[in-house]
Amino acid sequence: MVAVKLIPLLFSWFGIVLVLLRGFSGRRVPVAATGVVGFALGVVGAFALLRSYPGELSFGIVRGVVAGVFLLLWGTAVAALYRNTMREFHVFQGEKLVNASFYAVIFTCTTSIIAGAVCTCRLPVTGGTILALLLLVLAAGILVLAALAAEKMLPASLTVSQPALMAAVVALLLFSASSLIRLDLFSPLSMKVMKFAHDFVHQFFESMLIPDHLFIRTYLWGYIGLLFGNGVGFWGGMIIWFTPVVLILLSIRFELLPSVAHIRQGAKRRKLLAAAIRERRIRLVIPLLALLVFAAAAYRSSYPSVEYWDPTPVPVLASPAGEIVIPKQGEINLEDGKLHKYLYKQGGKEARFFVLLNPSGEFTVDLDACAICKPDGYGQAEGTVICYYCKTLIPLETVGKPGGCNPVPVPFTVKADGVHIDALTMINTWGNTVQATARIKEGGK
Amino acid sequence: MAPAIIETNGLTRSYGDICALKPLDLQVPEGEWLSVMGHSGSGKSTFMNLVGGLDRPTAGSLKVGGEDLLMLSEDGLARFRREFVGIIFQQHHLVPYLTAVENVMLAQYFHSVPDEAEARSALERVGLGHRLKNRPGELSGGEQQRVCIARAIINSPKLLLGDEPTGNLDHKSTVMVMELLKELRAEERFTVIMVTHNQEVATWGDRTIYLDDGVLVREERMRS
Ligand SMILES: Nc1ncnc2c1ncn2[C@@H]1O[C@H](COP(=O)(O)OP(=O)(O)OP(=O)(O)O)[C@@H](O)[C@H]1O
Ligand SMILES: [Mg+2]
Repeated sequence: MVAVKLIPLLFSWFGIVLVLLRGFSGRRVPVAATGVVGFALGVVGAFALLRSYPGELSFGIVRGVVAGVFLLLWGTAVAALYRNTMREFHVFQGEKLVNASFYAVIFTCTTSIIAGAVCTCRLPVTGGTILALLLLVLAAGILVLAALAAEKMLPASLTVSQPALMAAVVALLLFSASSLIRLDLFSPLSMKVMKFAHDFVHQFFESMLIPDHLFIRTYLWGYIGLLFGNGVGFWGGMIIWFTPVVLILLSIRFELLPSVAHIRQGAKRRKLLAAAIRERRIRLVIPLLALLVFAAAAYRSSYPSVEYWDPTPVPVLASPAGEIVIPKQGEINLEDGKLHKYLYKQGGKEARFFVLLNPSGEFTVDLDACAICKPDGYGQAEGTVICYYCKTLIPLETVGKPGGCNPVPVPFTVKADGVHIDALTMINTWGNTVQATARIKEGGK
Repeated sequence: MAPAIIETNGLTRSYGDICALKPLDLQVPEGEWLSVMGHSGSGKSTFMNLVGGLDRPTAGSLKVGGEDLLMLSEDGLARFRREFVGIIFQQHHLVPYLTAVENVMLAQYFHSVPDEAEARSALERVGLGHRLKNRPGELSGGEQQRVCIARAIINSPKLLLGDEPTGNLDHKSTVMVMELLKELRAEERFTVIMVTHNQEVATWGDRTIYLDDGVLVREERMRS
């Protein structure tokens, strides 16, 4: 089971080693050796981290590192474009550095550590036994050997420039990370963009526009509504996501051809030019592949293969005294640590909520909605609940605390027979938080 | 004497029972202008096609410009034709819907990349500076043949092959074309092999070989 889940990650690892070997051709052996050692280091490091800080912190660190690598790619892309379009800027200061042996080793080592760490995060937290770790490193080692053999079969003309190498490696790392909802970057990125657009529009209104003014026609509201939509986050995220590789592609496309003016014979001159153009075209191959991998990562992040626990809400009624009582035992076992959803209706109003026994053994009752997003509700997976609307992950430990995208807590009391909630409070909490935000979101007027 | 650019040993080409070229031993030194004569069906075109890499021999060895054509793959042979050989046929084989300059640029394109300025100056060299934008149908036979010459030399071949390039031309045009080829050879120093039925055309060369029924029967050196 775990092995199956690791297949895409190991596949990416194979790809990473392949491009590293080609990118640092001529240093095959040091790169391969460093790759295995780095991977093992990453596995051990992540294991130690997960053991000492279970929960969000460890995942947060690994995710932060992956995000840092993505930022580095941005830097590399901008630098590459700058370098290849500035006609006077002939000498690349980093050329010497990039050609040095130790650069290849450090680059490979860093990449492999991250790859190893991401793979380890995929292992079940408690099930990550020493044996599993050994098997993982062994598999990675075998894949390095396979990559050594496969690299020889690639056409010799397929060269990888430094920015292209960076693009391919980062794409594959992000693809690996996208298979874990806690390491995934694309969803939080699009969320950030959406929130930013949201805040921006909000401020804009407060400072400049009077929403009810006569001149602001309805169609205008339609456009403003666009900015609040899911689309903004998605497309904004897409732009940030794909731009670096596109910049790298452009930088290769704009690379200056060698000067051939000094060659007298036309045929020779044209032959040199044709060879240079062909070479430049081949150098586009790897970044184009990286673009595909980026797309695959974004797709996996938007449609994760993770299975969510998502029960249908059970309708409940209030007692004559105005209390909703959810029994601890009965048809549903409330104390199984899973999310249990209920639906309460009263005079045309309704409220959806869930009851959950969190890992520290305490009950919490919350609306199946937060104060920010559309009330699409929550699902549960991998020690977290996830907001279906904004894909934010909320660790089980923090469910029941108010704020942000956390589910809105509702007061309750636990008695021997079950969990007691005041029906009126429930309806009012829903009415005050959820409906209000939903109204603003759906077009403002 | 200059080193041989073409070296054949027992070069043979047969089509089933018909032996179009019987075992032929021949050496052509670099820079020579060789005329090939013989009656119709004697194997002149067959010999040309072998030397130009358009066809493969059935037996014997064939070295052109230091390359063993029998060892070359299809790709290698295509590269050899592209970079080493220029060919002019009796029929011009120009693309009818392209202009003169575009026809020359097409040859550049198949070789590497097109370069219009260079194509124009090549046409100017063959005296067609004023007909750059005309299509083959709008040119006389002699002019068409001169476009073919421009096209044949545009990629600086080491070997220029002509299969009766003046077969369809009157005396005046023939002389013009031959003069032009002579001038170009003096500048570019390529080797010429020229198949012809015309004894007068053969006299432009340094040496003439006579084929009969696929056999080299006679060889004649021109006074220089
Ligand atoms: N593709 C072919 N298949 C069969 N026989 C062929 C083929 N090509 C040429 N031949 C034969 O080979 C012999 C030599 O032909 P080739 O074209 O070399 O003669 P040629 O000297 O160029 O004649 P011409 O002066 O008429 O052009 C001829 O008998 C011809 O019929
Ligand atoms: Mg013939």
